[in-house]
Formats: sequence, C-alpha cells, structure tokens
Amino acid sequence: MAIKKDLLDILVCPKCKGVLELTDSADGLICHACMLNYPIIDEIPVMLADEAVSLKKDADKSDSE
Amino acid sequence: MKTAITGTAGFIGSHLAEKVLSEGHEVIGIDCFTDYYPKDYKLNNLTNVLKNKNFSLLQTDIVNCDLTSVFKKVDIIWHLAAQAGVRASWGDQFRLYSDYNILGTQRVLEAARVCGVSRLVYASSSSVYGDVNEFPMRETTYPKPVSPYGVSKLAGEHLCMLYATNYNLPTISLRYFTVYGPRQRPDMAFHKFIRAVLRSETPVLFGNGDQTRDFTYIDDIVDATWKAGILADAVPGIYNIGGGSRISMNDVIDLMQDIMDQPIHPVRSDRQKGDVRHTAADISAAAATLGYAPKTVLKDGLSQEVEWLKSIANGGIYGY
Ligand SMILES: NC(=O)c1ccc[n+]([C@@H]2O[C@H](COP(=O)([O-])OP(=O)(O)OC[C@H]3O[C@@H](n4cnc5c(N)ncnc54)[C@H](O)[C@@H]3O)[C@@H](O)[C@H]2O)c1
Ligand SMILES: [Zn+2]
Repeated sequence: MAIKKDLLDILVCPKCKGVLELTDSADGLICHACMLNYPIIDEIPVMLADEAVSLKKDADKSDSE
Repeated sequence: MKTAITGTAGFIGSHLAEKVLSEGHEVIGIDCFTDYYPKDYKLNNLTNVLKNKNFSLLQTDIVNCDLTSVFKKVDIIWHLAAQAGVRASWGDQFRLYSDYNILGTQRVLEAARVCGVSRLVYASSSSVYGDVNEFPMRETTYPKPVSPYGVSKLAGEHLCMLYATNYNLPTISLRYFTVYGPRQRPDMAFHKFIRAVLRSETPVLFGNGDQTRDFTYIDDIVDATWKAGILADAVPGIYNIGGGSRISMNDVIDLMQDIMDQPIHPVRSDRQKGDVRHTAADISAAAATLGYAPKTVLKDGLSQEVEWLKSIANGGIYGY
C-alpha cells in the first residue's frame, strides 16, 4: 500500500517545480531547494505549499531543544 | 488510456471517476478539498475509487500546482473542479469564483495545450443562461447570467472555445442542469430538504415554489460526460445536458412526501438573489452528437437520493 511510482514521476514541488524525494518512511516528499516536506497522508500526496512542513523550522527547533 | 479528472472528490467528479475506472482506464484525480462543505463527505465519495489500482489522487490546487507535469501523458481531461453554488457567489466570496472557475480553468486549458491533450471536457452550467424568455433553453440562446457564479462559468466556457479555435485543443462544454442523486452537495435543495425531513426539522423553501427546474439524475450526467470525453466523433462545442422534464419545487415536495411517506411543511423564505425563475433544456444537440438520452425519471432518482441520505444518517458520519 505504498504511493504509486507513476504518481511519483509526475510530481514536482508546487513552489519551485523542482524534483521531490520520497522520505525513507514514504510519508512525505521533500524539496531540498525549498526545504519543504509535503506530507503523504493515507497515500494521498498533499501538494499544497501551505500544508508543507518546513524542514528549516524542524532543524531550528531541534537545535534549541 | 490515461485520463485526469479535476474536482474528483466532489459530487459529480467522484461518480465520473468510478465510471472511467470501470471502463478500464487510468485516472489521475485532482482535488484540493475546498472547505465549501466538509472533507468527510468528499473522502466518503472516494471510498470506492481509492481501492482501485488505476486511480491516483493528488491533493492539490489547480490554481497553483504545476499541471504540465501532471498532464504529461494524459489523453483526456474532465475538468470539473470549481467553486459551486449560486447564492454564495456575491460579495467578498467572489474571489474564490474568479480564482477557481476562471483562472483555474485557464490554467487547466493552458497545461492541456502544452501537453497535447486530445480532448478536454468542461463542466459548465445552466446558470450561464440566466432568466430567458424562451423555453426550452437552446445552446444558441444569448446567455445573460443572473449570478456571479454564472458569469464565472460562462467565462470558463469562453476560454474553452478560445483554446479550441486558436490552438485546436478539442474542448466540449456541457451545460449541466441541476444535478441530483446520491452524494449530492449538502448545499443543494434536495439534499437540504431530505436531510431536514430525516432530522424532523422544518425545511426552508426559497420563493413561492413555482420556480421550475430541469432536474438531471447523476447517472445521466455521468453518461453524457463520459461520452463527451471518449467518443471520437463528438464535435467540440457546447451542449445542454438536462433531465428531460421540468417540474416545480412544489411538485417536487409532493413527490418527496410520497417517497418519504410523511407530510412535509416547509417554511417559505424570500427568493434568493441569483436564483433563476425557470430552467428547461433543449437536449437535441447532445442527443444528436453524443447519443445522449436521459434514462432516470425524477421519482426513481429522488428515491435513490433519499436512500443514500438515510444510509449516511445511520452511519452517523455527518453529525446526524
Ligand atoms: N451539481 C450541479 O447541479 C451542477 C450544475 C451545473 C454545473 N455543475 C458543475 O459541475 C462541476 C462539479 O460540481 P459538483 O456539484 O460535483 O461540485 P462539488 O463541490 O461537489 O465538486 C467540486 C470539487 O472541486 C474541488 N475544487 C474546487 N476548486 C478546486 C481547485 N482550485 N483545485 C482543485 N480542486 C478544486 C472541490 O474540492 C470539490 O471536491 C462544477 O464545475 C460545477 O460548476 C454542477
Ligand atoms: Zn521547491
């Protein structure tokens, strides 16, 4: 029950149109240029910049913790 | 074939996806789950198709996403995504109608052109006509919408024609006349009425009930929409898709009383700005070109919708 390969091939970052990388746990798509993680929820990729999780923030957060 | 459906999680889009999948084609469904009505309804609409290996769902917004990457290998696009609803289209809310229905349609068309898509079907509406003097409404009748929603849907139609004439992108606009049946949007009259009766609440009737509509059952809409996409010799253009008969809201209420086997006493409220008096479709063009012939009479279709609303009420999904 993983996300379909076909679908991965056609998806790009909605912000910069750049390539996306599937996370190891297959629950997100990462744009390294924008430092955003687009979540995959119930196998549905959520390709909305508003819903993406900033990787920068995550890094900042863990730094200060 | 590879196909794409925008607005796939909605009332009509989800039924269409089931049809296209059942014919053995691949479907890329696009929907951003707008909050016009709750996402739970839409996820429920998708229960069947999400199990199909030929279906992929993208949660994304046609106004912002890169559609050219999505449509790269697509042959047919059914473009149904829109901000629906006549009454909500006044005032500040118009921004949504303008963004989703006009800009969104232009973006879908542009990407379809770039990708060399072989057919694009656009879900238009009887709302483009407005209050006309002559019935039935013909595709050649001069459109004069009476709601901002109607204006936005008409703009979308014009854009489809522009892409057809300037870029040879075969586009077919279908003017749907009030669609009903299982999964009908919760803001639509039948749904609100039946729900109110099931909850022992008093339904509200806008206007005096003399207004008439050409109600069209979902299966007939899906049949026409499917054919407009798939028939090789379907001529690009504009087609009315109506249900074949016109009936007043008062008569609908009588029919509902019979079907639900209980008296219904609606409260009457003022007619709403943007609502047209009457609609009735001349469907001869769709009959000739698409072989369209509506099959479901109102009594049967309405019974189906009542059954569906009962079933979701029992499931308790929507706060019943
Ligand atoms: N239901 C009717 O009686 C009727 C009549 C005439 C025309 N239409 C047209 O048929 C189409 C479908 O209508 P429906 O009744 O199924 O409505 P619906 O609201 O159930 O479905 C529309 C879907 O489009 C999605 N959507 C909206 N804007 C989007 C965007 N920018 N990006 C991605 N997805 C977006 C919504 O989330 C929704 O799931 C619409 O174009 C509507 O204008 C419907
Ligand atoms: Zn990016």
